[in-house]
Amino acid sequence: MALNEIVRMHEDLENALKKPESERSWIMVIDTRKCVGDHACAVSCMAENVCPPKTAYRKVFETEFNSFPELDRFFMPTNCQHCDNPPCKKAADKSTKGAIEKRKDGIVVFNYAKLAKSPKAKEAAKKACPYYAIVDDKAGFYTDGTPVLEPYETRDFYEYDKKLNRKRGDTKGSIRKCTFCLHRLESGMLPACVGTCIGRAMYFGDKNDPESLVSELLKKEKTWNLKAGLGTQPRVYYIGYEDRTKISVATPASCIACHQ
Amino acid sequence: MAEKDKDFTCKLSEYIEKLPETDITRRTLLKSGALLGGSAILMSQIEGAFKLLRTAEASGGMTAGDYPLAKAESVIYSVCLQCHTACPIKVKILNGVAVKIDGNPYSENMTPNLDYSTPLTKAAKIDAKVCPKGQAGIQSLYDPYRIVKALKRNGPRGSNKWKTISFDKAIDEIVNGGKLFASIGENRHVPGLKEIYVMRDPKLSADMAKDAKAVADGKMKVAGYKSKYTSHLDLLIDPDHPDLGPKNNQLLSMWGRIEHGRIELGKRFMYGGFGSQNLIEHTTICEQSHHIAYKEATNQYEDGKWSGGITHMKPDSYNAEFIIYFGTGFVEANFGPPAMCEKVTDGLASGRLKVAVVDPRMSKSASRAWKWLPIKPSTDAALALAMVRWMVENKRYDAKYLANANKAAAKSGGETTWSNSTHLVKIEKDGPGALLRESDTGLGDKDSFIVIKNGTPTVVKADDDKSAVTGDLDYSGEIKGIKVKTAFTILKEEAFSKSLAEWSEITGIPVKDIEEVTREFTSHGKKAGVEFYRGPVQHTNGYYNAQAIIALNILIGNTDHKGGMSVGGGHWHEYASGKNKGQFNHEKTQPNKLTAFGHKITREGSHYEKSTLFNGYPAKRPWLPFTSNVYQEALPSAADAYPYTIKALWLHMGSPGLAAPAGHTALQILADVNKVPLFFATDIVLGESSMYADYVFPDTAIWERFGNPHSSPDVPLAASKFRQPTITPLTEVVTVYGEKMHCSYEAVVLAIAEKLGLAGFGKDAFGPRWDFTRQEDWYLKNAANFAVGDKEGDSVPEASFDEIKTFTEARKHLKPTVFSMERLEKAVGPDKWKRTITVLNRGGRWANWKNEVTDGKGMLLKTYGKQLNLYAENVAKAKHSLTGKRFSGIAIYEPPKDAAGNVALDMDMPLQLITYKDILGGQSRTLPNNYWMSAILPENYLLINAGTAAKLGFKDGDKARLISLTNTDGKWRLPNHGTKDMVGKVKAVEGMRPDVVAVSWSFGHWGYGASDSFIDGKTIKGDKRRTTGLCPNAAMRVDPVLKNVCMTDPIGGSSSFYDTRVKLVKA
Repeated sequence: MALNEIVRMHEDLENALKKPESERSWIMVIDTRKCVGDHACAVSCMAENVCPPKTAYRKVFETEFNSFPELDRFFMPTNCQHCDNPPCKKAADKSTKGAIEKRKDGIVVFNYAKLAKSPKAKEAAKKACPYYAIVDDKAGFYTDGTPVLEPYETRDFYEYDKKLNRKRGDTKGSIRKCTFCLHRLESGMLPACVGTCIGRAMYFGDKNDPESLVSELLKKEKTWNLKAGLGTQPRVYYIGYEDRTKISVATPASCIACHQ
Repeated sequence: MAEKDKDFTCKLSEYIEKLPETDITRRTLLKSGALLGGSAILMSQIEGAFKLLRTAEASGGMTAGDYPLAKAESVIYSVCLQCHTACPIKVKILNGVAVKIDGNPYSENMTPNLDYSTPLTKAAKIDAKVCPKGQAGIQSLYDPYRIVKALKRNGPRGSNKWKTISFDKAIDEIVNGGKLFASIGENRHVPGLKEIYVMRDPKLSADMAKDAKAVADGKMKVAGYKSKYTSHLDLLIDPDHPDLGPKNNQLLSMWGRIEHGRIELGKRFMYGGFGSQNLIEHTTICEQSHHIAYKEATNQYEDGKWSGGITHMKPDSYNAEFIIYFGTGFVEANFGPPAMCEKVTDGLASGRLKVAVVDPRMSKSASRAWKWLPIKPSTDAALALAMVRWMVENKRYDAKYLANANKAAAKSGGETTWSNSTHLVKIEKDGPGALLRESDTGLGDKDSFIVIKNGTPTVVKADDDKSAVTGDLDYSGEIKGIKVKTAFTILKEEAFSKSLAEWSEITGIPVKDIEEVTREFTSHGKKAGVEFYRGPVQHTNGYYNAQAIIALNILIGNTDHKGGMSVGGGHWHEYASGKNKGQFNHEKTQPNKLTAFGHKITREGSHYEKSTLFNGYPAKRPWLPFTSNVYQEALPSAADAYPYTIKALWLHMGSPGLAAPAGHTALQILADVNKVPLFFATDIVLGESSMYADYVFPDTAIWERFGNPHSSPDVPLAASKFRQPTITPLTEVVTVYGEKMHCSYEAVVLAIAEKLGLAGFGKDAFGPRWDFTRQEDWYLKNAANFAVGDKEGDSVPEASFDEIKTFTEARKHLKPTVFSMERLEKAVGPDKWKRTITVLNRGGRWANWKNEVTDGKGMLLKTYGKQLNLYAENVAKAKHSLTGKRFSGIAIYEPPKDAAGNVALDMDMPLQLITYKDILGGQSRTLPNNYWMSAILPENYLLINAGTAAKLGFKDGDKARLISLTNTDGKWRLPNHGTKDMVGKVKAVEGMRPDVVAVSWSFGHWGYGASDSFIDGKTIKGDKRRTTGLCPNAAMRVDPVLKNVCMTDPIGGSSSFYDTRVKLVKA
């Protein structure tokens, strides 16, 4: 049994925070052998980030493979990959410099105020992203049209280094995406999708620390990146498997079969 | 290079479905105070949030490291209840609003869990697991359709017309009765509780109870009883049948979702307080036959009777190498995924563990399985018996274990458990009956049994731990002219009654797969186990299916072993364990309590033959002596006046009209003011059944109340969970016993107790100066008992100054109506208070994780250590109350049957209907009302095999109606509320048996905010998003003999969810 993975990642996080921002390098590792398609990560993210109605930064896709009765069901969680060569930034820079920035620790940041004022940058960024990572914030609430506008929708929340509120319109008209929960990281908490994962498929940490759990995983397992051939340099790494009869063998073979 | 995603069934556009229009232009102006919109408390929370926004810095900035939800003062630990797993949670609060829920890292929701002594500041930053329902709890708590004020119906039952009524007036009307609905044209007298609460003398009730049992047992004659109690006969429902009990029994309380803490509080009210027997929990629409099978398999024989059985074991998935999941899994439903799943997925990824899943549907658990066995529903016993056959044929069972006939033999063989496999059973003319005894043979004494050892009958006392006795496993012969066989032989003969090919034909599983799975199961020593839950047991043959599966575990002797079957890590007792005088004994302290007596209205726990209603076979309705909480049977029994009628129903957080199979039959009864003269409910919304009530009192939601649910045996460490309010409840403030508190189940209990002067409530209820006037007086003592521990010297440390500071800081948003330091301290006493704070600060008490959950000798740290019954004598000695035929003491295969024992499978219907729960949906509360989750899954589907869909002419997304023999137009008939279609979209998948249609739970609502309601003359528009999908229960078979209820397992009592065959027609 891999012991204390969550506590270990917390320790890794504390070590990373002792270094300056420029020396940290955040990555996410997802072990799809252990993903069971429950969507706790997606809902945790919606709650944490007060996502716009009917949107999610985090999506868990699902597919069947082969036919009855020898079939497989695969689950594939994705979110913004915080690419080192982000196509969204390249596209947005063409019309609005500074709308999308790349931090030294790897996180790609959306400037909501700038993006809300720049439809060109917004549309270009959305079109450019190959990972379905970007959502619109068209205002509105889940509890519109019901007897009560509920406080979990109109509450303050935190993203990047900002305190925000949808009722105040802080994100209205902008585009949004996964932030790697930067606001949590800087207070010593793992991203909202990591702790809640009931399959324990989620890993997060500092790639620049050779002794971090994520560095160990990259060394030990044959990880794989989504659509790497596009040159986006994603920061989300996947551990795959071939089929359920050989689930303990990590291999990107079946990932590559669908997504190359 | 062009990027291409191959087009499999991976559909982005379907991921976040377009929800039905909510008609956003039509704003609801809610002036009535009944729903949250008018709640003063909520408005002030919103305003408070606004005010804070307006005083926030204009830059909207945040200092790095200053995230408020990372602080211990923002956290109150509590316990979820979006499903019965009841995960320990960490609720994060911002400006008095609960905004985020994660798992409690001190608890089993993180493996390994944090040491109990871990500082609160560190734990606050570490989020443990909860499933998506747990995360979405925020949306059940802040549900726009929650009721916050008491309501009285203002139209026919179910018309959803209400007026708000003061709590005090509602209690007064319920207690005193009268022409309560004259204003809406109902001229009848409604009986009040005071007219039902007629037996009020504790000593008289005890005496009459004792003698009524004697009458039922045939030891006292009715005439003798009548003359002994001649001046009290008016207290009885029927003096000619004293075993029906007093008129107090005509208050029926049905409980949907309730658990420990509240259960004992409610029992105190019903039994010792009000004196009614009729407290029926929902268990038989849940998993009861699973529990009853385990109970019979684990009962011990003492003082001439079988008792003490436990209801549940689970595989030690932390160490197991092979687990078979029958009709359940580790990802969805069961009990429950967050704690379970990680132990399994870790084993799968590391190679330690392989799993096989037996399920007509390829569930998410099956998606991780080495083998998926798509079984025909209702045939689980056939598969298990096929496995038994293979194991016996290939001698792949633990012969040494099975030969052990008593405790001493087990011990000498390094085991902690043993079985009665070698015990001899008398074979009567109509089949195996009782176990062979001294009274038959002259050997031994009244507590011993007989085995054969080398041809010689040998006496064995099961719990003898001094002289080891082993027996021959396979024996058939005669002793003193009595035909006998060992329990093992009887099981073997059942398993061999069909060839593997024949069993394969029945189950739809190829012989090769049966062999491979059984070979794997028997290749890991004791580090293998079989787990099951609702799939095999919610059938009329559920009990037998369960026993067949349990037999597999017995045959390899894996109980108590590392990697085998576990009884779990145990818990500290919330009610005095009896071993530590420091614990409160409040549960058992009820001065002047009544003795409730008489057959329950469901006749559960009673033998037909031991009643004055016995009149030969068939009985008018089934008697179910082995089980309890036969939820589906309560209302139809009352409707049939068998064994008697009821005068009042208190429905608490339950929905028999929706949740029971063939629930529409219950709705008919609920709507009938003659069958249910007074009907009041406690609920958080106007639910599908509670909307039929005369009065509805708002209950507090999970995150607003107390409780101490238990963990399942999946949890290997000692765990005592404690639920506590995380926000000020949104329900109105009421006054009971002079105390201001929020309206809730507890407030209603206390208010009725106060008005009627019931024993065990109010001043000095637990003894001099120990009052029970507020819920804290009860629940905090439970927490204190955790703190003090079950044994002397096993208490938690007292909270430090810093911890006490954090405790008060975290609760400073709580109003005095729900929280006060002084009151909580008074409830437990100053000597226990600081230790109690330690428990409250962590939401319970847990053992520290040990990397080895075993004793080093390969046994689990907490063991069962008793006999396992391959043969359940209890059951074999009893007769089916309609057919008069003997039941089987061994697992057998039989097809689904109706109440009169006729095979009931409508084979001219092409598909068999099953249901399941997606991880996003619980039985209630969750989908589709939790909007985060309904964004992911906005409706349910008629899930069928893709090949079947093509054959039936359906395309993916086509609408179809569900039709069955007892629901030929595919609709719910809702009295006074129109109809609701059982229509849904077809979803064609590869992962389904070709002859099965599966419909996930949680959808098809007409209550819970789905329809319009009318309160104080104003219309509250329903939310169309809540109407999506279908609830298939109205298609489930109505029993053809009883006509007003679904089909039922006559031994375990489980309601039949999965024995109905259906067809789909284009809609």
